[in-house]
Amino acid sequence: MRKFILLLISILMALSILGCSSPFGKDTNTVIIGGKNFTEQDILVYLMKGVIEKNTNLKVETKAYLGGTNVVAQAIERGDLDIYAEYTGTALVNILGEEYTPPSSPEIVYEKVKDIYADKKQIIWLKPFGFNNTYTLAMRTSQADELSIQSMSDLAKQSSNLKLGATHEFLERVDGYSNVKAVYDMKFDLPAGMDPGLTYAACRDGNVDVIDAFSTDGRIIAFNLKVLEDDKQVFPPFYAAPLIRADTLKLHPEIADALNLLAGKINSEEMSKLNAKVDLDGKSPNVVANEWLADNGFL
Amino acid sequence: MLANFLIMLQNRWPEIMIGTWQHIQLTLVALLIANLIALPLGILLTRKRKVAETIIGITSVFQTIPSLALLGFMVPIFGIGFMPAIIALTVYGLLPILRNTYTGIVGVNQAVIDAGTGMGMTSRQVLFMIELPLALPIIMAGIRTATVMVIGVATLAALVGAGGLGDLIFRGIAMARQDLILAGAIPVALLSILFDYGLKKIELFVQPKNQ
Repeated sequence: MRKFILLLISILMALSILGCSSPFGKDTNTVIIGGKNFTEQDILVYLMKGVIEKNTNLKVETKAYLGGTNVVAQAIERGDLDIYAEYTGTALVNILGEEYTPPSSPEIVYEKVKDIYADKKQIIWLKPFGFNNTYTLAMRTSQADELSIQSMSDLAKQSSNLKLGATHEFLERVDGYSNVKAVYDMKFDLPAGMDPGLTYAACRDGNVDVIDAFSTDGRIIAFNLKVLEDDKQVFPPFYAAPLIRADTLKLHPEIADALNLLAGKINSEEMSKLNAKVDLDGKSPNVVANEWLADNGFL
Repeated sequence: MLANFLIMLQNRWPEIMIGTWQHIQLTLVALLIANLIALPLGILLTRKRKVAETIIGITSVFQTIPSLALLGFMVPIFGIGFMPAIIALTVYGLLPILRNTYTGIVGVNQAVIDAGTGMGMTSRQVLFMIELPLALPIIMAGIRTATVMVIGVATLAALVGAGGLGDLIFRGIAMARQDLILAGAIPVALLSILFDYGLKKIELFVQPKNQ
């Protein structure tokens, strides 16, 4: 009996080691797609997984909701990830530490990061999905109308009477609050830093008046918030595109063809709607992504 | 590296000061409330020992909720800002104070209490002249544990818009800037040490001298 148990244990151990999808080297027929820790990135992970699995023979492993920009950017450089979706503005300012100098255009920024990435990081930028998830400031539509605020310049004039609530990242980024504050001469009192999940509801409930927001967030429409016009163009363009490691692409060039099927197919409004389905209707990102792929003839 | 860190400290000094002040406010208010609840409750429980384990059990359950989740629970009810942070921190500080108050008093030698009663002491006199002074080191240990914990957990208050030193830490995490994380974390550590040391001094001061 004891021998039998020992045998059973050793078989189980052997199986569990085998089950870890070969810990001593990556399976070359599997690609790993990663994503940052917010809804849109989750949806993009499953959209990319969907088209790759449909159009190639590769297996896709997903590592969704990993962490912030830096976690994911370091992971793809180390080779822990093969693919993830990045935003042009984030890559330019956050990751490469370059300066964004307006006037510029989405194309100029895209070409610039694409060249630097191919050159320095051996990571390839594929074609953008089509939407611009830029930073923006938002406030309650009712309050904006009351104070007749349309643009960030209008806001600046009345900013000393309003309360700003923002994510820690926005407050700290060079192209975030400090830039907006300088260019528009904002006079907010001590801004309240908070978790990205709380800002929209805090604004809706009147805990704060102005928040930093992403232009594709589903909650902007759902919570009746107004996006203020960036009339001095302080925010860089944030067009999303898939990034892939050059060595992975060399091994499986078909991935590029598969992912480029999505190029230009999702505009900002479309992305907001997809985000709203997850954030507000409580659907899973996986389901939302697959529904969209099916509805648009990708599956 | 060090030079850069010092320049950063200089630039951030006002923020560090504001953060430290908010952190102290959060900690002190939460601890005050926790003490006001847990000390009398702990004493009361020594008079009602049958329900003691149940009540202490309930506070233990609160303790097992991850602090981040506890803060999350508070947001839909209390919104964002000082309020939800204070309530979560208070709940967190309860258990060590309650348990140590109860255990400390229950652990007082029955013979000493009997001696007091034999000398004609009232129940109140037994409490204030025998039980509390003898249990004091254990009660203070509970308060010190709670203090150090609350100072640590208070860094999470920055997630719900309550400010504090966590603000610098979360900004540092968002930007992967270790120096900024340290600019928040070091003052938190210093606060813990300082508060713990201060409470130790208080403990020594109020302890019966002829033990």
